[in-house]
Amino acid sequence: MDILFIAKFILVIALIIMMLAALRASAYKSTSMGLLGSSVVVVAFAMLLLVGGDIYDLGFFKDISLALILFGFIGTVAFAAVLGGDDK
Amino acid sequence: MIEYVQSALLIISAILIIISAIGLISLSNSTKNVVYARIHIVGVFDIACIIALIGLGQYLLAGIYFIIAPFTAHAIANAYWKKEDRENNSDLVTVEVEPDYDNPFIHPKDKFGSLETEESGKLKADDRFSVTTLEIDEGE
Repeated sequence: MDILFIAKFILVIALIIMMLAALRASAYKSTSMGLLGSSVVVVAFAMLLLVGGDIYDLGFFKDISLALILFGFIGTVAFAAVLGGDDK
Repeated sequence: MIEYVQSALLIISAILIIISAIGLISLSNSTKNVVYARIHIVGVFDIACIIALIGLGQYLLAGIYFIIAPFTAHAIANAYWKKEDRENNSDLVTVEVEPDYDNPFIHPKDKFGSLETEESGKLKADDRFSVTTLEIDEGE
């Protein structure tokens, strides 16, 4: 078996573990923890799509993951700006 | 040769991701400033993702994520500080100044306030103070 193929699957398993940990972390009592956990889940899912697209040689996975990373960032920053409120 | 470098990068990033996942959920909720600590741990995950993106050959995505990841962490930490942390822990806003006990003209309230107990308020003024007298035997 190809070593690169095994490394990609190890990365997929690690990303799934991270997604589960981030889901647990997003359930903690603070609103910021929910924001943090959801942003981690989005990035981990984008990475999963990238690795999946690399394994099965699908091109459009890259575009979806790029969109996820960019819009995840924009959504996180926008939510954080609303949560923080105005400066007193 | 490139395959080995790529797989080494992917395995390193997988190890870092697992370490950050363990750290993210193993931190106790009673820890002080735990949200900032978790944001710090997510920074490890961000760098692991950048290493994985380089290993997968996605250099543009790695560069974009390298730039935007600190913005995300700062935005979350700033929002938490401005609303939840500052409103729930009002003692964070006040600055504690250590009183100068060596100065003879400064009498800190906490130092002299502790001399009076709750029970001392109920006593009469005469009972609060006791006068010790020496008994002198004139016969000696």
